Amino acid sequence: MDLVLQLLFTGIGIGSVYALVALGFVLIFRATNVVNFAQGEFSMVAAFLMVVFSVKIGLPYWVAFIIALICMAGLGAVFNLAVYYPLRHRTYLPVIISTIGASIFIANTTLAIHGPEPEVLSGWFDTPGFMLGPVYFDNQYVLIIVVTALLVALQYWFFEHTLLGKKLQATSQDKEMAALLGIPVAVMIMITFVYSAVIGGIAGILVAPVLFVSIGMGATIALKAFAATIIGGFGEVTGAIIGGLALGVIETFGAAYISVPYKDGFAFLVLIAFLIFRPQGIFGERVAEKA
Amino acid sequence: MHLTRRGFTTALAGTIAAPAVLRSAYAQGATVKIGMVMPMTGAAAESGSFAQTGAKIALEQVNKAGGVLGKPLELVYEDDQTTNPGAVLAFSKLASQSDIVAFLGSIRSTQMHAMAPDMLKAGKPVGFGGTDPNLTKLGNPWLFRFRPNDSYSGRVIAQYGAKELGKKKWAIVHSTDAFGTAGAKALEEALPDNGSTLALKQGYANQSQDFTPVVLAVRQSGADILGTYFTFETDLGIFARQLRQLGVNIPWVGSPSIVNVSALKLAGPALYNTFGVADYAEDSSDASKAFGKAYRDIRKVAPDNQSSWTYDAVTCLAMAMNKAGSTDPNKVREAMLAIRGHKGAEGEYNFDKNGDGLHGYNIVKNEKGEIKFDKRIDFPPNLG
Repeated sequence: MDLVLQLLFTGIGIGSVYALVALGFVLIFRATNVVNFAQGEFSMVAAFLMVVFSVKIGLPYWVAFIIALICMAGLGAVFNLAVYYPLRHRTYLPVIISTIGASIFIANTTLAIHGPEPEVLSGWFDTPGFMLGPVYFDNQYVLIIVVTALLVALQYWFFEHTLLGKKLQATSQDKEMAALLGIPVAVMIMITFVYSAVIGGIAGILVAPVLFVSIGMGATIALKAFAATIIGGFGEVTGAIIGGLALGVIETFGAAYISVPYKDGFAFLVLIAFLIFRPQGIFGERVAEKA
Repeated sequence: MHLTRRGFTTALAGTIAAPAVLRSAYAQGATVKIGMVMPMTGAAAESGSFAQTGAKIALEQVNKAGGVLGKPLELVYEDDQTTNPGAVLAFSKLASQSDIVAFLGSIRSTQMHAMAPDMLKAGKPVGFGGTDPNLTKLGNPWLFRFRPNDSYSGRVIAQYGAKELGKKKWAIVHSTDAFGTAGAKALEEALPDNGSTLALKQGYANQSQDFTPVVLAVRQSGADILGTYFTFETDLGIFARQLRQLGVNIPWVGSPSIVNVSALKLAGPALYNTFGVADYAEDSSDASKAFGKAYRDIRKVAPDNQSSWTYDAVTCLAMAMNKAGSTDPNKVREAMLAIRGHKGAEGEYNFDKNGDGLHGYNIVKNEKGEIKFDKRIDFPPNLG
């Protein structure tokens, strides 16, 4: 039983990381109908910025955190102008390829500026964790779970109960209609990119103390987060969260009870099963071609 | 001037032959050249510069002592771009220069496999640092290895655990890539000879974000000692931290990555009191200390195996040429194979018929982040 509880905690912890990154995917997908494959790189860049501000320059942790997030907002804006905006009238395919290109560009630019060696970022807490009965709770994972829950609540409130949120929703549902109603579509999309870069950044900074800061850290997490969004149902915030948590728990238990080397395999087996049997995901609605 | 047909033909022949004639005249003349394939760009560019410093230190010492066959030794570098195609291209550029009499290959086994066919065609001695045991079993007579191959690390880890630490029930955790799988297999095979048993053998895929299931399996296996083959420092760091957090504190002997600078930085206290095998350990011998000092004088940091093997390779190749009294490839090869008891930075060189020069490893201990030399374990080479 101890074992099961320990695995469950770890699974939910790692699943929250996937969920957090998946949130960024969902936001951009809802606004633009494309998948942003550079979402993982947002996390990586934020973690490196945090290392620069907090470790190298020596600013207080929370100051470094805020500055890093401001930089991420800037990156989100530049990303929108350079990667999405010029292609906004094309189909989704050129935009997706453009985000893949941007992801490679961001990773290699970071490599060129910083070099390949991984970095350590300390967590928010001085102590690494605590024992509760037989289960060890890693403080950073606890924080990740709490922050993910808060962000989901915030996001729900924002989209459902604020005018800006409703404008964003309207933009994502039908850009032409939204424009006719006087909603500045380009600004709404800009806001979405800025927000998801910040969310990706928060995810990166939160996982950095657990997974270390390295050039490849974004890519692995983003792939799982992408799988999580498909399992949950693309475009569904709740789906992304449930998908991420499910993925984390499934792969942790799969690794413990079936096979460790095939851990990543379980995640993608689930993904393939969903693509075959329920392509719209857990919460998605079946999409039919409009007449 | 009247140009006859014969005159024209002679001039043409002379023009065509001139570079070759000049080149061979040059080969007879100024310097003796060794070509070095090394990463100057790409992911391993930094370690390439370490390798270059090691080779340069040897070059200076050789030249100070009178050079090779009375001429100064010279190094010619080509960039392998840290890729296999880059390495093949770099080697063929060097091989096309007929005045280069020997080569330094790569520290990466995969690059060595890529270049090996061209090295066989070139037919000149090549010193290299890749540790895949198969490289010296390819039937390629020109390859000489300047680091201990991986079959020794497993034997050293098993012997150290049983004889020095008195622990015989092993848990082995390894990466499922070629390096990790081969290393774990070598360690497993060495256990019975040391009266030890295997409690758990657990592979993991590189770039895992979480090792909780692996750590719990180690804890439940009842093993009293842990042996590991990790490829990436980030994986090693995450594993080490989770191991300590979940309360596993059995003795731990790891493959060379456990004492790697990045791993020490990432894992910090989680790696204190662990043991590792290392082919270069500064305090392991007088020759290692001397090399360490020479290297520190230039780079201001401690050397590692990236530079020690190139230092030894240049030294041994120069020594063999001087002993052979010639740069003729066959004679140099014979002289290389005859090297016995040469004390290099990496250890004592005794080349066996396959071209393996070293036959043991150093065991080092992590004492609060400082890497301290503990013991050297050598196995008798098969010199038959």
